[in-house]
Amino acid sequence: MSRSKLRELGISLPLLPVTSVGSFPKPDTLRKARSDFARGKIGQEELSEAEKSAVNWWIRKQEELGLDVLVDGEMYRGDMVAYFAEQLAGFETGGLVRSYGNRYYHKPIITSKVSGSHPITVEWWRYAQGLTSKPVKGILTGPYTLMDWSFNEYYPTRRDACLALAVEIHREAEALVSAGCKIIQIDEPAISARPQELALATEAMRIVTGGLPAYFITHICYGDFESIYPAMLDLAVDNFDLEMSNSRADMLPLFGKSSFTKDISYGVVDVHSHLVEEPAVVENRLRDGLEVLHCESVWVDPDCGLKTRTVDEAIAKLKAVISAAHALRDEVQQ
Amino acid sequence: MELLTFNHSGYPRIGDSPDEQMLRRAIARHDAGEGTEAEVRAAEDRLILLALEEQHASGLDIFTDGLVRWNDPASHLAGKLQGVRINGLLRFFDTNFYFRQPVICGKVERLGPLVVNEFDWAAKQSTRPVKPVVTGPCTLGHLSICAAGSVTRGDLIMAFAEALATEVAELAAAGARLIQVDEPALLKRPADMALAREALTLIASRKGEAELALATYFGDAAPVYSELQALPVDTLVLDFTYSAELPSLIQNEGSTKRLALGVLDGRNTKIEDESATVRLIEPMLAKVNLARSYLTTSCSLEYLPRDRAQAKLERLTSLKKSLLGEAL
Repeated sequence: MSRSKLRELGISLPLLPVTSVGSFPKPDTLRKARSDFARGKIGQEELSEAEKSAVNWWIRKQEELGLDVLVDGEMYRGDMVAYFAEQLAGFETGGLVRSYGNRYYHKPIITSKVSGSHPITVEWWRYAQGLTSKPVKGILTGPYTLMDWSFNEYYPTRRDACLALAVEIHREAEALVSAGCKIIQIDEPAISARPQELALATEAMRIVTGGLPAYFITHICYGDFESIYPAMLDLAVDNFDLEMSNSRADMLPLFGKSSFTKDISYGVVDVHSHLVEEPAVVENRLRDGLEVLHCESVWVDPDCGLKTRTVDEAIAKLKAVISAAHALRDEVQQ
Repeated sequence: MELLTFNHSGYPRIGDSPDEQMLRRAIARHDAGEGTEAEVRAAEDRLILLALEEQHASGLDIFTDGLVRWNDPASHLAGKLQGVRINGLLRFFDTNFYFRQPVICGKVERLGPLVVNEFDWAAKQSTRPVKPVVTGPCTLGHLSICAAGSVTRGDLIMAFAEALATEVAELAAAGARLIQVDEPALLKRPADMALAREALTLIASRKGEAELALATYFGDAAPVYSELQALPVDTLVLDFTYSAELPSLIQNEGSTKRLALGVLDGRNTKIEDESATVRLIEPMLAKVNLARSYLTTSCSLEYLPRDRAQAKLERLTSLKKSLLGEAL
């Protein structure tokens, strides 16, 4: 693990630290508040209070469960791309498109030069960090994913759009660092979808993280890892957050052939299933990983954001992650 | 024959109006245990009628049912086959759309119609010919999980081909004059070309009088263009958005097959400039007979919001008019 970097940043973590990817399900009270806000029944202030209350609840819950690195649960976000697109100039809200099954989202459209006039996530990070002494991750959607999951009617090429967004996300990361954030996660789930554009994604990530004194994680999921490994290790981050519960059968042989040279946040529970995995199943998934990864380099978490689960399912899955991490921590230390 | 326009395959099954949100609400009610299967089917019917109306209004020549009843391109077909169960979500190629992955758990066999009944219903409602679409055997094989040692990828593809050959025969018997087999995987796995040839030979042997179209997309067809030309299909449906070379390749080499030119981007909201698109197409027409060509989008329109999807169809019609005007 880049423990020396973390130490320099003033962060000390146990072996196999437990975190989560970012999103949690919104409590019923917040769902109702969002619905009331959409219908004009309540104003922004009342909605913000409900969002803060939900962030507070999840911070307390994570502390109670025993996570080591916390998240704010993204209670104030709908979609990970639309949230940033709504705050950046240059985007318009697009119509609904399908994500899967019966789920749809408003896919943004880039219609003019993208630019940010104010920090987007800093106040939320500051609020969440103010509630706990444990480190809270700052979480940003990466430029490649923002570009790939938006329509582009302005920039001549995908590269132009991606690099313009990289400059804006760098500014946001810089603002988080200035606010005191030490661990920043850049979500780039789209990176693994077009292997031929990995060089572009790498160039963009270099812009995002360049020169900033923080420990950077990138979350990548559900893609063609065989095509981008080990080249993806060139991404300018310290830690890769990967959905290993879903894809370890594909990934671990790759790690066996070519060493994983960075830290990893190792997903051990499936976030798309209502089923809460048995402790032995989760422990075995992690044990498989520790056969080819150095335990000092491994963080433990769910495969992806838990927002599509119920609150009870999300808590049960977090408990399964923590239980497995603690069991293996004991095993390794014996 | 004349230059024709067709809807590539899928069409948005949602929109901004309450009527266009009917299917989403019906499925949500059903999933919550508050609605019935019949209500979902009725909502699907309504959305298909809307899709047909919008294709008609756009001036299109050949329609699809918008694949409105499809959960996704893999599970909708594979899930109806014996020997297949449906697993968790996986990204569909390089899109931000996710499909449920088929898992092969026994001998793959067709138990009954996959899309024939859907085609039959839509064709009866439509003012113009309806083109049924099936996901191809190589793509289904590529997207499926096989337990190690259970079946080879080649055998699995041929098992899917056998099921699809029967489906194509029944589609032709039900009156389909143009049947489209979607094979996006072929551009990702060109090594499967020999298998594709074998599988498509089987399917083509059962097509009767129907015209069999092979649609490749989400990749550059230029490097495998000559191999695609050698496949036993009548028509090639090509995605022009991944390849700068494809137009000049067609301009130089022509085509032994009828071509469907997927020149409008089915994955970006920007509506292409008409005169620039005409300039792209015209040089190809020197080698490809305009009267033996189709105009379409690069892929399904389900990746676009409803208003933009309809605008793309309208642009297909205006392109056709421009090209015919200039050709005449």
